[in-house]
Amino acid sequence: MSSIQIQNVTKRFGDFTAVDDISIDIEEGEFVALLGPSGCGKTTTMNMIAGLEDVTEGAIRFDGQDLSRIRIQDRNIGFVFQNYAIFTHLSVYKNLSYGLEVKKVDRSEIDRRVRAMADRMSITHRLDQPASSLSVNEMQKLAIGRSAIVEPRIFLLDEPLSNLDAGFRAYMRAELKVLQHEFGQTMIYVTHDQIEAMSLADKIAIIDQGKLMQYGAPLDIYNDPQNRFVANFVGSPRMNLVDGELREERGELHLMLHGGAEIPLAGKVRADFTSDARVHSGSFGIRPQDIYFGDRRGPTDITMHGKVEVLERVGPKRLAYLQVQETMFLAFDDHAQLEVGDDVPFFLPSDASMAFDLDSGRRLGGR
Amino acid sequence: MTDQTAPEISNNHANAGYWTRVARDGQKMGFWFVLPTLLLLVFIVVFPLLMQLYLSFTWWTPLEGIPWYQAWEVFNWGENYWYMVTDPRFWGALWRTVLIMIVAVPAQFFLGMALAYLFIDQFPGRKLFYSIMLTPMMIVPAVVGLMFFLLFQGTGPINDHLGLPPEFSCLTDVNRAMISVIIADIWQWTPLMFLILLAGMLGVPSDQLLAARLLGGSNWQNFFKIILPRMKTVIIIALVLRAVECFKIFDLVFIMTNGGPGVQTETISVFLYNQTFGELEWAYVATMGLSILIALSILAMKGLSYMAKK
Amino acid sequence: MALKYFFVLLACAVVLYPLLWMVTMAFKPHPEWTTVAGLTWFPENPTLQNFEFIFFGRAEGLVVSLDRTIVGPLIASLVTSIMGTLVAVVCGTLSSYAVVRFGLAQSLPLSVLQLRLFPPLAVMIPVMVMWSFLGAVDTWWGLSLIYGIVTLPFAFWLMKTFFEEVPVEIEDAARVAGCSYWRVFYRITLPIVKPGLATCALFVFILNWSDYLLALLLTQRDWVTLPVYMATLTSAMGGQMYGMKAALGVIAAIPPVIFGLMIQKHLVRGLTFGALKQ
Repeated sequence: MSSIQIQNVTKRFGDFTAVDDISIDIEEGEFVALLGPSGCGKTTTMNMIAGLEDVTEGAIRFDGQDLSRIRIQDRNIGFVFQNYAIFTHLSVYKNLSYGLEVKKVDRSEIDRRVRAMADRMSITHRLDQPASSLSVNEMQKLAIGRSAIVEPRIFLLDEPLSNLDAGFRAYMRAELKVLQHEFGQTMIYVTHDQIEAMSLADKIAIIDQGKLMQYGAPLDIYNDPQNRFVANFVGSPRMNLVDGELREERGELHLMLHGGAEIPLAGKVRADFTSDARVHSGSFGIRPQDIYFGDRRGPTDITMHGKVEVLERVGPKRLAYLQVQETMFLAFDDHAQLEVGDDVPFFLPSDASMAFDLDSGRRLGGR
Repeated sequence: MTDQTAPEISNNHANAGYWTRVARDGQKMGFWFVLPTLLLLVFIVVFPLLMQLYLSFTWWTPLEGIPWYQAWEVFNWGENYWYMVTDPRFWGALWRTVLIMIVAVPAQFFLGMALAYLFIDQFPGRKLFYSIMLTPMMIVPAVVGLMFFLLFQGTGPINDHLGLPPEFSCLTDVNRAMISVIIADIWQWTPLMFLILLAGMLGVPSDQLLAARLLGGSNWQNFFKIILPRMKTVIIIALVLRAVECFKIFDLVFIMTNGGPGVQTETISVFLYNQTFGELEWAYVATMGLSILIALSILAMKGLSYMAKK
Repeated sequence: MALKYFFVLLACAVVLYPLLWMVTMAFKPHPEWTTVAGLTWFPENPTLQNFEFIFFGRAEGLVVSLDRTIVGPLIASLVTSIMGTLVAVVCGTLSSYAVVRFGLAQSLPLSVLQLRLFPPLAVMIPVMVMWSFLGAVDTWWGLSLIYGIVTLPFAFWLMKTFFEEVPVEIEDAARVAGCSYWRVFYRITLPIVKPGLATCALFVFILNWSDYLLALLLTQRDWVTLPVYMATLTSAMGGQMYGMKAALGVIAAIPPVIFGLMIQKHLVRGLTFGALKQ
């Protein structure tokens, strides 16, 4: 078990900067997800942690120790590949024992540990079969077991669930959480699936275009995104984010949306937008869950009028698509009285609304 | 071929007839497609084999003016076979051929393997070096023979490097002629091993290799436990291919040493050639050719059934 | 990394060493052919004399002359290699297609392969008898025919792998649309495997061009090919014309090297009879 310090790490491939000055501190035993759209640099970051790629600038330390001079085979890192990289020419048993055999562990000790791990992963009945005969689900278990058996100091998983069918994925997600507690290991988990990251990780590092956008606990990230990208990326359905120009008229501050509509700003969100006098164009964000219909509840809540374009069933609730001029807002129909084609008022609580600088994407104000 | 369409259409009688007719057309066309190859095979295998068998039991030679079909006039009741079994020159040539094979092929294999390992990952200039490495096997073997003939001349550069006098030539030296030939063969055909083994090595999934390294295996351990077992088929193919080709070796030897000095480098093909054009003992050559043919066929069949078992 | 470059460069040096000697020899005048007056790697007085000599039979400053030039053998090599390639590729393509698509002649692949197993000299006596009986010795068609036959296995197996890669659904679709088998083969399948066909032709051409033994056995004078011509130059000149032979060697070596590099990607497939792909 190790703590990991990623300090100002940059990775360049020729002119292309894949990872740009990222710093992440991971404590012992923590489960951290690297989350981002594909091509954002999360896998490169993980490969650098594993030592598969060199670091161009900065350093990665394990318990304060720089590993860049240590060979890959001596780093003692557990790595689960996206397609599992099972040794298909060997038996399941030999796959599990490989990491112990190359370290010249005692035969009987190997046998004991292999059987224990097979038992834990419930693939004992498959031990003597060729690994190529396993199902994808079993391969997944074998891949995890094979890495776990050598008791690595950290555990890295590269999109381990993306090849599984939906049912098993949900099961494996829970299983991973249990395993992480059992092994008590530091785990780093790469995924592009924000739901997976939110439900599994102790902490999430959101990466976009090689830059670290935000690093923190899942709920903090959800409730308090520090920039427009994170706000947009986390949460399902996505946050409403509408862009426009700030305009002050007769003491009133409006956000003139690019689609023609305008949002009269009030309360906290107004204060947020005015917290930086240099900002002239902004992005207004509110989660669909926070919008409500019916009667106005708070004095600073913003009133809007829109036309119900579509009503979509999402589980037990209905998601309404509200058209305000050229702009679309999504909101859950808590009122349960909407009909398609209705012109209805809806309310944006200013406390739940967020303000972003459109140019830099930076969050204005805060909680 | 018409699996998906046949059930639907079988309700309709006229259509069913149409499709069977079409399928029959396919077979008919297939027949015409195979025919030329079949004819060539019959032409080059069946007829010559019979003739070879026939001639091998006679004294026939093109010298005496007897047409080959009247060779029965000099029928000799298998004396050629007895002569072959007791012919030291035949066994000598066979042994030298095998010698070249068991020295050159393993050497090519190990060199090819080492080279392939060098080329397994990307490095600047790899493409250029790779192309250079492949050139020897593309050069006409006779020209390779000429190249080494030139190199090993008494007045050639090898002697100059080794400080040997120009009167001395490796190619006419009893001890070195064979070595020279083997060196030329290794030079020309190591690239083939390299090419095939590299393809096999690159066929080992790179993430499995990475996984093995991350599990703590040294390069050495991973090579023997992951790469090598996965290359088994490729290695067998490469070795068999080279062994078969090496057994036929002719051009190199013929141009470099013509089998000499004496019979020091006379391989089976060179021996057969000399018997054909030097001694004009065509019936005897037919005897030896047929024997080699039968021996190789038995070997090939054993090999194939062994592979089929595995 | 430095060690790796050391070995790679060493290997390349070993590969280039004999080549360099022959290639530079082709451009060297007579005194530089041997190391008697010292070893010269690069011609000190570069000359095209050697090429001039083999093309025109005489060259300025040389007392000897040649009764036959390279032109005849060059044409012979080209004609027989091309015609042999044609025979092999046409027969190989047609029959491998029938084997792959119609499941005909299931034993054909192995029996064709057997053609490559035996040393040609072990089976040449009856072939030579037949060839002289047919009047095929020392003719362009006689040599082309035997070239076509011995390279047929490569063409057959190579085309077999290319046909196996064509999805049968494409052909079925055309057939359902009413195309005849011939039309499907000619208009659909053949265009798909065109790159493969080109590769196959180049590959077989290289093999035919590289032959020495068959031409040695089945030609005498009229259709002597380049390698045989090169070797006879040796005996006629008493082994003294190193420069001319080197020039011949260079000319004979160039086409296969160029073609070989062109089809580099498919070399493994071709050489292993389609058993391995790169």
